[in-house]
Amino acid sequence: MSKRITINPITRLEGHGKIEIFLDDAGDVERAFLQIPELRGFETFCLGRPAEEMARITPRICGVCPTAHHIASTKCLDDLWHVDPPPTAKKLRELVYSAFMCEDHFLHFYFLGGPDFVVGPTAPATERNILGVIAKVGLDIAGQVIAMRRKCRELIETMAGKVIHPVFGLPGGVSKGITEEQRLEFLKTAETAVEFAQFSLNLFNDVVLKNDDYVKLILDDAYAHRTNYMGLVDENNKVNFYDGHVRVVGPDGDEFARFAPRDYTDHFAEHVEPWSYVTFPYLKSKGWKGFVDGPDSGVVRAAPLARCNVADGMATPLAQAAYEKMYETLGGKPAHATLAFHWARLVEALYAAERMKELLEDPEITGTDIRTEPTRTPDEGIGIVEAPRGTLVHHYFTDDNGVLTKVNLIVATNFNAAPIAMSVEKAAKGMIKGGKVNDGLLNMVEMAFRAYDPCHACATHSLPGQMPLVARVYDSTGKTIKELRR
Amino acid sequence: MNSQPPPITCDNAEIVHKKGRVLNPKTKLSSTLVLALGNDIMGDDAAALVASGMLKEQFAEDADFNDTMEAGLALMDIMAGYERVLLLDTIITGRHEPGTVLEFSQDDFRKVVGPSPHYMGLPEVIQLADRMSVSFPPVICIIALEIERPVDFAETLSPGIKEAVPRFVQKAAETLRRWKKEGY
Repeated sequence: MSKRITINPITRLEGHGKIEIFLDDAGDVERAFLQIPELRGFETFCLGRPAEEMARITPRICGVCPTAHHIASTKCLDDLWHVDPPPTAKKLRELVYSAFMCEDHFLHFYFLGGPDFVVGPTAPATERNILGVIAKVGLDIAGQVIAMRRKCRELIETMAGKVIHPVFGLPGGVSKGITEEQRLEFLKTAETAVEFAQFSLNLFNDVVLKNDDYVKLILDDAYAHRTNYMGLVDENNKVNFYDGHVRVVGPDGDEFARFAPRDYTDHFAEHVEPWSYVTFPYLKSKGWKGFVDGPDSGVVRAAPLARCNVADGMATPLAQAAYEKMYETLGGKPAHATLAFHWARLVEALYAAERMKELLEDPEITGTDIRTEPTRTPDEGIGIVEAPRGTLVHHYFTDDNGVLTKVNLIVATNFNAAPIAMSVEKAAKGMIKGGKVNDGLLNMVEMAFRAYDPCHACATHSLPGQMPLVARVYDSTGKTIKELRR
Repeated sequence: MNSQPPPITCDNAEIVHKKGRVLNPKTKLSSTLVLALGNDIMGDDAAALVASGMLKEQFAEDADFNDTMEAGLALMDIMAGYERVLLLDTIITGRHEPGTVLEFSQDDFRKVVGPSPHYMGLPEVIQLADRMSVSFPPVICIIALEIERPVDFAETLSPGIKEAVPRFVQKAAETLRRWKKEGY
């Protein structure tokens, strides 16, 4: 008797999704699918608008990553108008962006990924949430997370205004600089962030790495894929969130491509499936080979661990030490363990905090030359940043007046859509055997996609209410024979 | 927490228990907030923002107004420190006709289910604030307009929802008038 298991909606995923797991007669997993209801028409919505509005419109796509969209859009506008911002403007943008990355990564570790490890992957669902994390780590740490987030947000809002409606990035620069007084205040935030990131890595060490079962789970083949990886790197091939070249490495870690954002379309194309609005980017030269990994596959992963895999290291000393320790435990580079994304996220949080501090100690950060006026005729632009979840691409075309004629946005979840589908199926096959299905096992399947922190909701609001997770097992006649409800 | 506070609704808000405290409705401890949630480029998802704009014309002197498309922890920051919050939002229950105006208290949203830092709902925010001893509004009244899930980007409301907005505003205005009468 074949069975179908449905997890709908998936918890702690941005946007409602559904996992369907089909069992064969032996009760083992035959296939598993991840389906996400997608919003549509954003690119069309933008056509006919002045391109400079994009830096203000795109943050409203997504209440999670508004700053990533704002900065990617701003960089795209630079490219569109062929204008190079002054050094101070670039540093101010990177400062704001580092604060955003720091805030987002901390939140993810403690509130989204945290429950799986801090509370435990098979803990009761009622405890596997933020309140469970608080019960484990204590109110003081939870308070520090919230305070850290608030300080980073204050920096962002001081510079950019409301995060959803930023008025900061402009083609060729930024709208405002910082005073010496602000610099000193922000520096305190950066120093606190460095300390908190170190504390978080120690916590990860104590709670996760000292637990053999968790380490085994992280390294379990059910959570591994030998894919290509992508991410921005600086001139020394170190991880960079704001600028640089896109580097792609193969499953063996060898460099496959390294190119300027301008050349993005020479290297990537998008595959479409009839059952999804999500597009699936792939490496053009390898071609679309389906939802498979391995050296011949065109599928690429973009995420914190992907960035670490493509880089030769981190550009700041403390993060570099944490990076080396991570790969030592994971057995070298590249690491293919999906659950290690959480670890890489903390290494990156430390880098973001250190980078904030570096930028604030740079005398140029209080400079007043913050914009180069665009003078050339706009035509086509591409802007790329590393969003918390992976590479984010904005690509615009305009007429001579700067009115948009074509828009394409590729978010990290596009790059990761195929890997997520593959990871969910592989985890389901590894975790569910002989028809044994329970809440803990289903959560371990969910953990496969949660590591990617996929973001599909695009800020559509509905009243904050319950987000029930229902898992149903059907027999071949469609009759429900088992139901798990959270 | 060993005991839950008594249910708080928009109607019995004159006596409110919060951490053993009984609030005197005659004493205005802090201001009232009208918090509208929605995305102004997601069609009907913007209904609460439109309603908020109309309410502001009548009640600008009586309450602070905040329109946001943020969720999760941002809501805690926005709501902290206020005495009463009138939260306007859209809702998709699937059990009512689009355009139906619904009213809830925070007690209707107490259960914590699968929170996310990105999609932390009101239940999680309330419980988190409680655990963290954040000064959180003891009275939260929620007025919501049933919509169908918007899937297309648009800057306008659908005709049916546009027609329902005055009823949405009227319901919210009744609450604000009552609170004003009570001294808030």
